[in-house]
Amino acid sequence: MGTESANGIEITNLSHAFAGRTVLSNIDMSVPDGSSVALLGPNGAGKTTLMNILCALLTPDSGRVMLGEMDLARQPDAVRRKIGAVFQDPSLDTRLSAWENLDFHGLIYGLSRRERKRRAAEVLELVELDAWRDEIVRTFSGGMKRRLEIARALMHQPSILFLDEPTTGLDPQSRARIWSYLEGLRASDNLTQVITTHYVEEVEDHDYIYIIDQGRLIASGTPHELKSRHGTSMIRCLPRDATTEEELMAAYPEAMPLADGRIGITLGAGDMLDAFLGRFGARLRQIQIDEPSLATVFLALTGREIDQRTPGAPKKAAGVQ
Amino acid sequence: MSRFMHIGRGLYGIWLREVMRAVRDRGQLIGGVSRPLIWLLILGIGLNPYFRGEVYGEVRFVIPYTYLQFLFPAVIVLNIMYTSIQFAVSVIWDREFGFLRAILISPVPRWIILLGKILGGSTVATGHGALVLILARFADITLSWDQVALALLLMFGLSFGLTSFGVILAARVRSFEGFGVFSNTIILPLYFCSSSIFPLDPSLTRAQTVALYPEWLVFLVEINPITYAVDALRGVLINFHQFDPRLGPMVIGGMTVVFFLSALFDFRRR
Repeated sequence: MGTESANGIEITNLSHAFAGRTVLSNIDMSVPDGSSVALLGPNGAGKTTLMNILCALLTPDSGRVMLGEMDLARQPDAVRRKIGAVFQDPSLDTRLSAWENLDFHGLIYGLSRRERKRRAAEVLELVELDAWRDEIVRTFSGGMKRRLEIARALMHQPSILFLDEPTTGLDPQSRARIWSYLEGLRASDNLTQVITTHYVEEVEDHDYIYIIDQGRLIASGTPHELKSRHGTSMIRCLPRDATTEEELMAAYPEAMPLADGRIGITLGAGDMLDAFLGRFGARLRQIQIDEPSLATVFLALTGREIDQRTPGAPKKAAGVQ
Repeated sequence: MSRFMHIGRGLYGIWLREVMRAVRDRGQLIGGVSRPLIWLLILGIGLNPYFRGEVYGEVRFVIPYTYLQFLFPAVIVLNIMYTSIQFAVSVIWDREFGFLRAILISPVPRWIILLGKILGGSTVATGHGALVLILARFADITLSWDQVALALLLMFGLSFGLTSFGVILAARVRSFEGFGVFSNTIILPLYFCSSSIFPLDPSLTRAQTVALYPEWLVFLVEINPITYAVDALRGVLINFHQFDPRLGPMVIGGMTVVFFLSALFDFRRR
């Protein structure tokens, strides 16, 4: 994928450790201009560290990051003008109004008064918060705050937008809105987007996916490539009793115990399913067959499940009026 | 030139946010108004008659001022101390709520971020000091405009130094709760040991002063930088010095430079 584009990102052999513990190890990544790339991995995989490095908040131990023609280590200020970021934790001033937050952001990016006015109005409209421009941010719902953060990150018209878990903790409507804004921006502004997430359902629409686990890239490709390369159907079953479980584990050495107490077995070719059902079919409490998805890709690659919290579970009052 | 404009806007933005926040923070404003009222109107008026204590008709202190006049400049310093050191809360807030990260990824240089925040905090603290100036009439002090201007200059210098000190504290404190207790244990002892509410009589020799007060107390007052800030303001406002008049501005200037540089050192390291 080595694109020599103006606003793409090239990461070469990036490594970083905190207090002797390796957080990122030999990461090579490429994000073409105007594309949308997802970093998929469980919590603690090193995604946020990678984001911090890309935003020039953290200097990596080794490796190189190029944004277009610019080397992040040599020209951090030039790079900063080109990037916008939405962090996992909210970072708005909740005691200021929406407009004031945007105006502040415009000021620290050196925009003139006229530019600030114009941009603030544009981005507020984009995230459908123009009616709330003078409201104090404290009164906003979680979804509104996140939308305002996206608006803020766009104030200075970055060509690359980093979003670290942009939809975590939001209700389904807010999540859908956010994805639609981002899709629109890709189409209209050719905005390059790098998104981290641990929700597998959310990465299907991205151009390219990097799967990261324990600080290493373990696979990459388009969603389709990943599924056809690593995706397998999987039997998930719950044995009736301990003897069955032992027997099952002995018969299928590659079987793995899953977080929910069930057992996952990769479904092989041929008459494997017949053989399995013939032998164990009557001794199972539950059985389910998963079609290839990015979740099974992750499971197949790591032997572990990616964080499977229901993404739609609302944490706070969903407040999109 | 354009880079200069950009940095200027960044500095202005960061300064403006601090000032806006302070103006909207009712609690802080109430503290800024009630503190001088309590100290001047209650403590000041209450102790006023006892100030020039006479022993058997012999005037012991030869300070030609009322207690209210003597206390007045110190209350300005007290208000500045509270506001400046409480400013650390704003720094902790930015850090804990992630706002700092949003600033740090911007092209504004780090030292401008720190300078903007400290200038904002100093402006607010100077404002709180100026609230006390409004009460000058109550303390029977008449001020000319050049006195006010000079006082504001010294107040701003002191605010800048103490705000920087607050930032240094903030880097060492993890929580808001801890900070409240912490700040009180710093502000009040410094205030009481700054010859703010009792004079070390300059007409007495050092030997006499030590005879009047225990040596440790005299020592604490003399090593306390706030002492010289109070003294400088007394010089401007009521034309009374207990120490060499050159010491005040020197100590204030020294505090601004040393504390700002250490705050900068802290901030860069993180």
